[in-house]
Amino acid sequence: MNFLNNIQEFTKEYIEVGEFYENCRCLFGLELIAENDGFSKKIREGSIHRPGLALAGFLDLFTYNRVQIFGNTEIKFLHSLPDEKRIQSLKKFFEYDIPCIVFSNDHTPNEKFIDFARERKVSIFKSKHATTKLIYFLSDFLDDQFAPQCSIHGSFVDVYGVGLLFVGISGIGKSEIALDLVERGHRLVADDLIIATRKGEGVLMGTGSKIMKHFLEIRGLGLLNVEKIFGIRAIRYQKRIEVVVVLEVWDENKDYTRTGLDKQTINILGIELPMVILPILPGKNVTVIAEVIALNYLLKHYGYDAAEDMQERIKQQIQEKTEKRDKRIVSYFEHDFE
Amino acid sequence: MIEKEVTILNRAGLHTRPAATLVKLASKFKSDFYLMQDNLVVNGKSIIGVMTLCAEQGSKLKLRFDGEDEEEAAKEIVDYFNRGFDEL
Repeated sequence: MNFLNNIQEFTKEYIEVGEFYENCRCLFGLELIAENDGFSKKIREGSIHRPGLALAGFLDLFTYNRVQIFGNTEIKFLHSLPDEKRIQSLKKFFEYDIPCIVFSNDHTPNEKFIDFARERKVSIFKSKHATTKLIYFLSDFLDDQFAPQCSIHGSFVDVYGVGLLFVGISGIGKSEIALDLVERGHRLVADDLIIATRKGEGVLMGTGSKIMKHFLEIRGLGLLNVEKIFGIRAIRYQKRIEVVVVLEVWDENKDYTRTGLDKQTINILGIELPMVILPILPGKNVTVIAEVIALNYLLKHYGYDAAEDMQERIKQQIQEKTEKRDKRIVSYFEHDFE
Repeated sequence: MIEKEVTILNRAGLHTRPAATLVKLASKFKSDFYLMQDNLVVNGKSIIGVMTLCAEQGSKLKLRFDGEDEEEAAKEIVDYFNRGFDEL
């Protein structure tokens, strides 16, 4: 498919500590303890690390380039060391180019620790959360930041809670369908430029671009702001992409599915999504069909498949008929005089 | 497929007017036309896509033309970029 061939997968190479802090502060109250000079340092990995072993002196596999978490164990361990040894251990630890350090359980480092960090321009943060919870939050955030992304040309609407992504060549009417769906009470996620992100295994999230969120272009009208016209109920910021609807000009020579038994899928960022190819014909109400696609998807999700149901019924009927006939294998006995 | 690199020359950057003209130009051709900046790939036949780039003066864009009339399309569109969207 031409318009999806152009998908270019990309992943962030790094995020800066400053950006990391700004986001985590808003998301789960990460606090800055010391050092602002380290905000331009780069976090290049989505994983995090608890440096217990590194502090103990085992530095062979020290993944220093990850965000370092100091929990109860690390703190207790450092406290247990005699002063001289502790300084030696920290000295070695800070020799590595660490992006930043996060203390859990509301712990705060002592002056000596802060001095070391300041010297090496390493930012120190703290969090009220317990270590396990903090690790969960941080990993989730970093996973998202380093998730594979791509931009897709299409329209993306939440229809009855199902994320329908409309794709097709320019001018086929993607935006018009989106507008029509909004008018019928559904919610626009993004039009024209959709940024898809793989979240976890098997989930594809879609959102619009920062600048153009919830703007639509309708040929002949120009640019429209959907949020201003229809209000807050007409929009949403993000949605899982669940079904891809491919709009195309009716092609006589192409076979379109008639039963729905041949389930078609499309691969975006390594995730297989159900796909519906919809030929556009005069008199075809694509909006209603889109609603039905969403409802049918929901129905399937709850365990009912119309095509399979029909297939099952037909199979049963045929079987019954055959059984009836089978009661007497020979339908007509010729005279048999023996 | 043809790929070209262009620089935004005019002071105001790729704002609404040139974006509209660009889309109009691109729509004349059958070929697909994409603009790429950093990781973003946008369809050059859609005004919202082009405007999303918010390309400022001096920024570099990669253009991709793909289709039967790609050469003519590339020639005309690259020329429009090089003229600084007629705002120089």
